Amino acid sequence: MDTVYAAVAGTVTACAVYLLLDRNLVRVLLGVILLSAAVNLGIFVAGRLSRGLLPLIPPGLERLGAADVANPLSQALVLTAIVISFGLTAVLLALVLRTARDLGTLDADDLRVSEPRREEVQA
Amino acid sequence: MTAWLPVLPVVAPLLGAALAAVARRQVPAQRLIALVATSTQLAAAGVLLAEVWRRGPIALHVGGWPAPFGIVFAVDLLGATMAVITGVIGTAVAVYARADADAGAERDGFHPLYLALLAGVAGAFLTGDLFNLYVWFEVMLAAAIGLLLVGTRPAQLDGTLKYALLNLIGTTFFLVALGWLYGLTGTLNMADLHLRVPAVENRGAVLATAMLLLVAFGTKSAVFPLFFWLPASYHTPLASVSAVFAGLLTKVGVYALLRVFTLVFAGEGTAIQTALCWIAGATMVTGVLGAAAQQDVRRILSFHIVSQIGYMVLGLALYTPLGMVGAIFYVVHHIVVKANLFLVGGVAERLADGGDLRRMGGLYRRDGLLAVLFAVPAASLAGLPPLSGFWAKLLLLQASLAAGRWALAATALVVGLLTLYSMTKIWNEAFWKDPPEPLPAGRVSGRSRALLLGPIAALAAVTVAIGLWTQPFVALAERGAATLLDPAAYVAAVRGVAP
Amino acid sequence: MLATVLAVLVLAAAAPAIDRALGRCGPWLLAAVPAGIGGWYLAQLPTIASGAVMAERVPWVPSLGVDLAVLLDGLSLLFALLILGIGALVVAYAGAYMEGRSDRGRFLAFLLAFMGSMLGLVLADDVVVLFVFWELTSVTSYLLIGFDHADPRARRNALQALLVTGGGGLAMLAGFVLAAAAGGTTAVSVLTDGRDVLRASPAYPAMLALFALGAFTKSAQVPFHFWLPNAMVAPTPVSAYLHSATMVKAGLYLLARFTPALGGTEAWFWTLAAVGTATMLTGAARAVRQTDLKLVLAHTTTMALGALTLMLGLGHRYALQAFAVFLVVHAFYKGGLFMLAGAVDHETGTRDVHRLGGLARAMPITTTAAVLAGLGMIGMPPMFGFIGKESVYEAALTAHAAPALWLVAAVAANALTVVAAGMVAWGPFFGPAPRGEDAPHGHEPPLGLWLGPLVLGVLGLAFGVFHEQLAQPLLHPKVAAIAAEPLPLTLHLWGGLTPPLFASMVTLVLGIAGFRGRARLAAFGGALARVHRIHCERGYDATLAGLVRLAAWQTRTIQSGGLRDYLAVVFAAFAAAVLGTLWAAGGVRLPAGMPDVRFQEWAVAGCIAGGALATVRVRPRLAPVATVGIVGYGVGLAFAIFGAPDLAYTQFMAETLAVVILMLVLTRLPTAPRLERSPAVRRRDAAIAVACGAAVTLALWSVTAAPLDPRLTAWFAAESYLAGHGRNIVNVILVDFRGLDTMGEITVVALGGLVAVLLLGGPRRRSAGPIASVILATVTRVVFAAILLFSVWVMLRGHNEPGGGFIGGLLAASAFALYAFAAGARAARRVLRVDPIVVAGAGVATAVLSALPAVAAGRPFMTGLWWFPDLGVEAKVALGTPLLFDAGVYLAVAGTMLAVTFSLLEE
Repeated sequence: MDTVYAAVAGTVTACAVYLLLDRNLVRVLLGVILLSAAVNLGIFVAGRLSRGLLPLIPPGLERLGAADVANPLSQALVLTAIVISFGLTAVLLALVLRTARDLGTLDADDLRVSEPRREEVQA
Repeated sequence: MTAWLPVLPVVAPLLGAALAAVARRQVPAQRLIALVATSTQLAAAGVLLAEVWRRGPIALHVGGWPAPFGIVFAVDLLGATMAVITGVIGTAVAVYARADADAGAERDGFHPLYLALLAGVAGAFLTGDLFNLYVWFEVMLAAAIGLLLVGTRPAQLDGTLKYALLNLIGTTFFLVALGWLYGLTGTLNMADLHLRVPAVENRGAVLATAMLLLVAFGTKSAVFPLFFWLPASYHTPLASVSAVFAGLLTKVGVYALLRVFTLVFAGEGTAIQTALCWIAGATMVTGVLGAAAQQDVRRILSFHIVSQIGYMVLGLALYTPLGMVGAIFYVVHHIVVKANLFLVGGVAERLADGGDLRRMGGLYRRDGLLAVLFAVPAASLAGLPPLSGFWAKLLLLQASLAAGRWALAATALVVGLLTLYSMTKIWNEAFWKDPPEPLPAGRVSGRSRALLLGPIAALAAVTVAIGLWTQPFVALAERGAATLLDPAAYVAAVRGVAP
Repeated sequence: MLATVLAVLVLAAAAPAIDRALGRCGPWLLAAVPAGIGGWYLAQLPTIASGAVMAERVPWVPSLGVDLAVLLDGLSLLFALLILGIGALVVAYAGAYMEGRSDRGRFLAFLLAFMGSMLGLVLADDVVVLFVFWELTSVTSYLLIGFDHADPRARRNALQALLVTGGGGLAMLAGFVLAAAAGGTTAVSVLTDGRDVLRASPAYPAMLALFALGAFTKSAQVPFHFWLPNAMVAPTPVSAYLHSATMVKAGLYLLARFTPALGGTEAWFWTLAAVGTATMLTGAARAVRQTDLKLVLAHTTTMALGALTLMLGLGHRYALQAFAVFLVVHAFYKGGLFMLAGAVDHETGTRDVHRLGGLARAMPITTTAAVLAGLGMIGMPPMFGFIGKESVYEAALTAHAAPALWLVAAVAANALTVVAAGMVAWGPFFGPAPRGEDAPHGHEPPLGLWLGPLVLGVLGLAFGVFHEQLAQPLLHPKVAAIAAEPLPLTLHLWGGLTPPLFASMVTLVLGIAGFRGRARLAAFGGALARVHRIHCERGYDATLAGLVRLAAWQTRTIQSGGLRDYLAVVFAAFAAAVLGTLWAAGGVRLPAGMPDVRFQEWAVAGCIAGGALATVRVRPRLAPVATVGIVGYGVGLAFAIFGAPDLAYTQFMAETLAVVILMLVLTRLPTAPRLERSPAVRRRDAAIAVACGAAVTLALWSVTAAPLDPRLTAWFAAESYLAGHGRNIVNVILVDFRGLDTMGEITVVALGGLVAVLLLGGPRRRSAGPIASVILATVTRVVFAAILLFSVWVMLRGHNEPGGGFIGGLLAASAFALYAFAAGARAARRVLRVDPIVVAGAGVATAVLSALPAVAAGRPFMTGLWWFPDLGVEAKVALGTPLLFDAGVYLAVAGTMLAVTFSLLEE
């Protein structure tokens, strides 16, 4: 199972990168969202996938062995990563919205205010 | 005291940020909170440094859980020194910001953002857990994006978008590498990784992960060829924001390189070392050349950050004790000098109503004190003795010559000369030359002047102090470097056993 | 001795104040101090002459072996006397020269600062200390050359001098480091104590080259000589002091000081002799073509420096003697002549040799000084200059290789010097006075302006006449220091009809003839210059210009300003680093055989991959939102089927919210025209993308090939309930075991909300109105309350079952969002009462504060404190600080989501 989902993570990564290199800022944003999905899946896979196990100690038991639970640490890491990337994605969305408003463009090639195209050079 | 001291430099500004957010409508309360929080951070870091100097590395097992199961804050001399510098810069810029951040900026949330940034930086320097490091990187990123936007003009939006995207991708690379490293070793604690990484069977995968971390931290540190986000954004926000970014943020990346490539990947000598050497040389050169093509003061300074990062990476790349000493000393020196230069640049821009050297001029006559306060950090950056920059460059020169790296030594010297050229160009154009058109009257009132020039003078004094009373700082760097190259005491502290 | 250096530097700092306070007397007082210090050094002469040395040492950086060490021997004593003596005269001179200028105090300060630095340089007994003072002299020289900084020429030439001497200084520093490594110490006296350590070292050629670079740049040797004439743009006191008598001699000092350690080899001989000779001839030749007094003097200074270098290169006892004598000779006459040029300029307003003449009558004292200096320059007996010239010829004749070459060169250079001397010291005073209305005329300059030249001129005479009494004791220790052994000096005014005397006569004859025909000489020189075309200064300019062009090209290429280029490089680096390393280091572990995968797992995998690919292909505005949602939900399903319930819930909720926010944002964006990439760029991007995807897949395959170390998992599974009091291991990790991560996570979330509000704006007057429907309104109110309660319950139960603060917070935010959709954002805000950012901040604060009680109880930060109240129920009820922490998470998440939602709705 790890094998297949590793390939899935790679596929989503490739799509995300392709979108991130697009000219339209909206598609760049989509790329960001896909990239975080791919990365989260990747961490999940790296923590090894398990079938039929849960990261819960059932009532009546006080402890379990490592072979009896799904890897809780990778799940905690992924959860943290989801929340963090969610927060940052929201910021990026607002940033793109504001950029479109103030700079009047959604074209990544048009972002030339902070680094103007022709800078004169002089010793 | 170990129960809370290592974490106080993080908790104080973090709590301050939260409270400042709660006090959203009461700006005076926010200012007070900021003042208290930054001074507490500085004081706590100072005490922490004294403790670590006395006793060796200290570990705080957060939540009382043993490492590597819980998160540990592991403080050695390098980390404590970085925390102290954070406190110094944080407090200095906070004072400067009182005159620099206008009402609009404070309404936008300058104070909680600034304090959160300081908390993230301190957390990165003090943590002993790799995933926790990632979390603090993200805290810094979120706060940094906010600070870049405070005051929002169109150039800021452009710069921030580039900054946000490129840095987000950088931290994403870090996260990816983290996942792989965890998958290979089963642990996230850096001291534990030091013990586990050498035992992993698949050396190729370990090396690939290490290279990815090099790319990730390299993006954060603005090395070649990953530094684009820096000159694209550092000249756009408020001067105080530029200063704290220039001083601290890239150095967190350098610190991560120093820590990870001595503690976690200590054994991976040759391939990584070769990569680092090339990166160091290329970074030094491209940075200083980039600066030579600019006409705006803050853009020149931004490119110089890149160039100077090259020097720090050089110290790491040599992997000799003297090289490490040089790297640590350089980091400390550069943080102070670079932040100071940006602060001075901010005042100069106010006086000249803009940062373009072609339009500026006459500042020497107009404000002699500012001229002196520019000359000190500028000379230090260029490596003129007897200031801190000279000793930093001397250490690295000695280290590279002793290690037989002639090309790198020559590069370091030539880049140093070009840095001198660049700083003198700013002096010539902004201070000595008369402006092509008469400049408007300055926008700097008496009280503002004290708030703006006070921190600058204090930081300049630090630079001079390091230059003249050099021995304590070199000794500090020496002991710090020793722990980096031989982390036995650090690992023992984390594991809770005697070394 | 350290105290003397410090004293001068302190005096420099106080100079502006003293000048302001004392007016006319200020400069005299400032001159008296160096004069007094010079007297002290003179008093040490007997000690030094007897062969002893005086040393002081203060530890500076013991870790590097660097001490603030100074040493006084013959060489440094002589230099110290020159620096202080001539310095005192120059300070007095400068006081008069700059009379009336408001920045005179600052000028004197810089001058004294230079004096202190130069003094430190010659006294230094540690290479690092030497370098420190070396650079300080470069810096003070920069400040002095550019003193009239409004003039662009001054700025440019100051920069040029700084870069040339600074660059040489850096090379010298490298040489120092090599020498210190080879010799095992940074102490100059130890390195030069006559042993062969440095000469025998394999790095000797490099050391020699680097030392030479430093010395040649500082002392204006070819091809670095061009900065010296350009430095004449500085006020004349600077030219008199730095650029003739002291700073330019620093390079020679360096070579002299290190002669015992580096000298005596063939490489040393030929390098210094050749460069020195070339410089000597270049300087002399260019001097006679100048019309400005100062430029004539500048070029003859170059000539003199070249001659001195030649002497050091020849290196035998007569050469060292010549070096010692000529050094002093030159200082005497050149310093004096510069000051005279300035005085003439001050009085007549011009320095043009063609416009000056007949001033002897008007300025008798000045003329006397000029005559003395001129005779010294020509080398007429009984001036000390004659002894100097004779010594040089003697040294050339006794060289062990090519004596004829050196002799001919020296004669030629000296002949040209005679011409120059005539132009400077004879012409303006005794030459024909120009006629016409604008003919310059002047009267005797004030005391300060002629005192210096006169004193120096008299000294030049006295040293010549009384050379036994004055010169011998002074120069003998100096030569001894350079040669590292006491050498007898043979100075005489008349030694019989020797070849040197013959050479002197030839020189004089040639010189006078040249002076007579100097116009033709100048023309000839000009023609020659056009032929050989080597212009070293053009090299400097070309280098700078080339540098700037290179910098511009690099910036255009690398820092192009294009976001997509930056991203492409970053991703390419990622792919290259991972793929390259994996392949080269043999880390690839391909999966063995078909994996054991169930149908639903394939299905979900297919959904995710399909959704991603679809997002790339699909074009319409809002359709990609759906495909992204498919990917997100697919990942959530994957979490669910592989045993991660909390993760699945969180993913579903986060994805839903992301889709909603994305929709809101997209509908507010202007419709963009189709922005297409060119096919070539598309291919490049696709290649990078595929490489990145392959990197990820291969890495994950390789990572998962071996089993995971279960250490941490085992511990978590064992301790979660017993120590963490929770059955939901993931939640226990999040709020307890690794709670600090979560604290950072909610900080990021809260910051995100703050930034989003910053970008989108706070509460607005006008906002989306409520949806007008009574049914919806009523139902919403009930549902709203229910969802809120549900959210709290979800949070509370999270510790033992799927749930927790994050999901609870999201639910709470959804409740409010629903209310806002139904009743309007304004109404929703009213219900909330406080600014949502305040809620978020309170959440973070709560989380941080929940970690503090542990500290009060003496436990590590964030340790969970638990109470087990007896509620009479069978099940164990546990209340603890981690629950409070989770509440903080709840508030932070809810507040942030609300802030973003409200802002978007009010857009």
